[in-house]
Amino acid sequence: MSFFGFDTTLPRDRAAHAHPNQAPGFSQQRDAFAGLSGNEKAEEDGYDFEDTYDGLGNELDEGDDEFNDETFGGGSAAAPGKDFDFFGSTAKVANAINEEQLLYARGPKKPTQHAPPSQHQERQAKAPSYAAATKPKPQPALKHQIPTEIPELKPEMSLWATTSPEAPAKNLSAHAQLHFRHIENQEPPAQPNFAQQAPPAAAPATRRYKSLEEVEAEILAKKQAKLAAAQQPPQPQLPLPTQLNQQDGWPGRPVQGFPQHPQMAMQQPPLQQMELPFPPRAMPPPQQNQRPPQNDRTPEHLQRGPMPQPGGQLPFPQIPPNQQFQNNNMPFPMGMVPPQGPQGPQGPQPPFVGMPPMQPQIMQMTEEERVKFLEEESKRLKRNHKIAQLSRYNGLMTPSDKNFITRIQLQQLVSVNEDSFNEDFYYQVYMAIRARNNPQQPLNQFAQTYLGQQGARGGRARRQDNHLLRMQQQVQRAVAAAKARPKASQLVLEGSLGKISFSNVKTPKPLLSIKKQDSAGLVEPGQKPAHAFAGIDRRSILAAAEDIYRCLLDLDSHERKHPGPSLTGQQPDANTIQWFEARDALIAKLWRSMRIMEPIKEEPNALHPFIAILSVKKAKEAIPRVFRYIDLQQRITILTMITISLDQVDVIKDGRYPPDTLSLSNETKKKIEGFSQYVLPPLLSYVGDAQLDVITGLLGILLDRVNVLLLSQTQIGLAFLTMFTSRAEIIKQAGQADDQAVLKWTQTYDRLFEILEDHLLDIFPPHGAQVDDMYVWQFLASMAVGANMHQQQKMVSAVKDRVNDNVQASKTLPQEMGQHKLANTNLFLRALGLDIDLLLS
Amino acid sequence: MLFFSFFKTLVDHEVTIELKNDLSIRGTLKSVDQFLNIKLDEIQVVDEVKYPHLSAVKNVFIRGSVVRYVHLPANAVDTALLEDATRREAAAQANKAK
Repeated sequence: MSFFGFDTTLPRDRAAHAHPNQAPGFSQQRDAFAGLSGNEKAEEDGYDFEDTYDGLGNELDEGDDEFNDETFGGGSAAAPGKDFDFFGSTAKVANAINEEQLLYARGPKKPTQHAPPSQHQERQAKAPSYAAATKPKPQPALKHQIPTEIPELKPEMSLWATTSPEAPAKNLSAHAQLHFRHIENQEPPAQPNFAQQAPPAAAPATRRYKSLEEVEAEILAKKQAKLAAAQQPPQPQLPLPTQLNQQDGWPGRPVQGFPQHPQMAMQQPPLQQMELPFPPRAMPPPQQNQRPPQNDRTPEHLQRGPMPQPGGQLPFPQIPPNQQFQNNNMPFPMGMVPPQGPQGPQGPQPPFVGMPPMQPQIMQMTEEERVKFLEEESKRLKRNHKIAQLSRYNGLMTPSDKNFITRIQLQQLVSVNEDSFNEDFYYQVYMAIRARNNPQQPLNQFAQTYLGQQGARGGRARRQDNHLLRMQQQVQRAVAAAKARPKASQLVLEGSLGKISFSNVKTPKPLLSIKKQDSAGLVEPGQKPAHAFAGIDRRSILAAAEDIYRCLLDLDSHERKHPGPSLTGQQPDANTIQWFEARDALIAKLWRSMRIMEPIKEEPNALHPFIAILSVKKAKEAIPRVFRYIDLQQRITILTMITISLDQVDVIKDGRYPPDTLSLSNETKKKIEGFSQYVLPPLLSYVGDAQLDVITGLLGILLDRVNVLLLSQTQIGLAFLTMFTSRAEIIKQAGQADDQAVLKWTQTYDRLFEILEDHLLDIFPPHGAQVDDMYVWQFLASMAVGANMHQQQKMVSAVKDRVNDNVQASKTLPQEMGQHKLANTNLFLRALGLDIDLLLS
Repeated sequence: MLFFSFFKTLVDHEVTIELKNDLSIRGTLKSVDQFLNIKLDEIQVVDEVKYPHLSAVKNVFIRGSVVRYVHLPANAVDTALLEDATRREAAAQANKAK
């Protein structure tokens, strides 16, 4: 049964040694759920461990474990054998590997001089021990190095070592690590040199570009290297030429990775931030360190002196933007506290890293100066610290990320710049209006903001805007260049009905735009309605109203392009002239769109197009805006047109109270409200300036052509009459009109009075109507002022009952409403020279 | 762009966003982008009893495509201006279609 000849029968089957009936055979399917039925008692036992375990484990030799460590290099720090080189072990001594690089570079010429003990020694005790541990066998670790690259990685010691005034006391020892630390901790002024000296060669392999700082640092480094070369000619061993070459060659191979073993790069823990503040690049051979001639050193120091001095002249931190999380390799300019967690190996950092060397300077200062100096210094350090902390995020974004964002910003800028009123109309205007409502902003500035970009030209915050403006111009140029390149914004598939437009920032959702059939008969939208307006059906009325708005919007946007007051003087330049011409054309178009000049038809019921248009609310709302643009002649035309067709205007036609009703329909109420809100004020403002003969003429036409009785029973009709009579009265009393005109007016007034005198009670809204009848009292007042004694008596006797009613009613009504009623009535009484108080008392 | 332009003026106003999953969130409009994604601050779910898991949420970012309605503060809308803006938009569309 078994291929290998094992006995594969289950223990329970062994007794039988025959294929049991209930066990599945080869031919029959095993019942997977048989166990669930509980019928098979044998299955319930399952497998027994003892039965299946072969017992081989018992034969293992468990002894002699004590040599495991020796075999596998476990726990203890026992030195591994010569042939042992696991990566794990190397990584543990990553520190030491740096040491080894130095040692290796120095090779047989390694000096015997040792570092004198310093107060920093304890802190560094660990590293030297590593170094000591690994020194005898540098080979294994260096196996992974590219040895030729190493010298180039060392800082050029001659350059910074000599700047230290304490240099002789400090050693120039072979113990590079110690040396680094001494310099790090005791000779901060030397660090700017490092910064210049040591371009971040140890940047991660991913870096591609060098920042400006890096390039500067390199140039400086080159200069210094040349200086050093010039000052130290008798140094045959110094491999300066090659170094220079390498530096020269550097820009050519910026992509070159960090020539360290990848594992080491990874293993360098952040703990080393302070220990290795600069990359081991450009480290000269030790001879140079050993014998910097004393006489050379001094001049160099002097010469170099002013440069790194504390003032912070160094255009500071040399943090390459894309140095990614590699602070441990980053050069920290003087006084800069590197980002360092509290777990840093050196414990809390004294706040003034850069202080000690300045001590002599400080000593010479007066107390006051010193305090000031210290303050400034601490400020500077704080700032540096902040910058250093922020530098943690350097290189988070790749250049292409930045590019992408720049593009978005660019687009935003341009759209704000160029098209803001087309694309962002609501927001722009809304904000402008709100700015106007803000009382802190003067009105004329609003006008500038609202009407266009000349606000910027007008000189608000000119200084600030200047560079912004320049930038915008640059951006515009860039965008113009981009636009010049043909770019497909739409895709038209052959044989398709429409085209597919790609999304862009303005229309994020691609639209399928259907091609319109080019109908030959289609006229320009502005032109069309002048002829197309045939009937007065609602649709064409609405279309005509939209035409008015279209013209208004065109005018508005044209207004925004106002060239502004000419700078040269009185003479308007060509631009301005052109602008005014265009404006006039637009106004003419607007005027046509109102269709006010169309002839009045003689048939009794024919509605003039303008009046028809005026029946829709939005046309009423347009009137004040139209009045802004049209001239006086056109205004009087509109006023006349409305006046002579007043009985056809919907608010008059429907404005009468039908018999036996106490209120108008809601729709009419709204219309009346709209008319008095939008149409009346501009008319009123015009009438307010009109001459008496104009008023007389208008009232005359009104009396000739319109049923004034009907008119007087509507709110708007009364408002018109009030408008004329009160204006005439004002002119008369101000003595602005000659006798002839006054006489004419008086005649017209008499005619009006004659018509109305018997129907004065009819002008009131029906008794009990819940409306404010102020407009009636206003009219009566305006009539009373102009009336002679006889007329006044008639008026009083006509409305006497009504006045009494009001006085009575005001007593029963709540205080507020009663007062209001009385005040209304008083309008009329005052005009007669009476007062309501006489009636009340 | 009309809606984008419009919603930009409502920044810092309180709005109620009704999502297509019937969740209504009231909060201060913080920002909106051209996709009409919406950022709300100090939010409150209208039917808090029904969505207790949202009671601890303080601000949300809503993808524009899941919004069904935005309830506007009426006094923050300039209707006349909005009409004009709509006319402009329509005119621009008409020009584009040609």
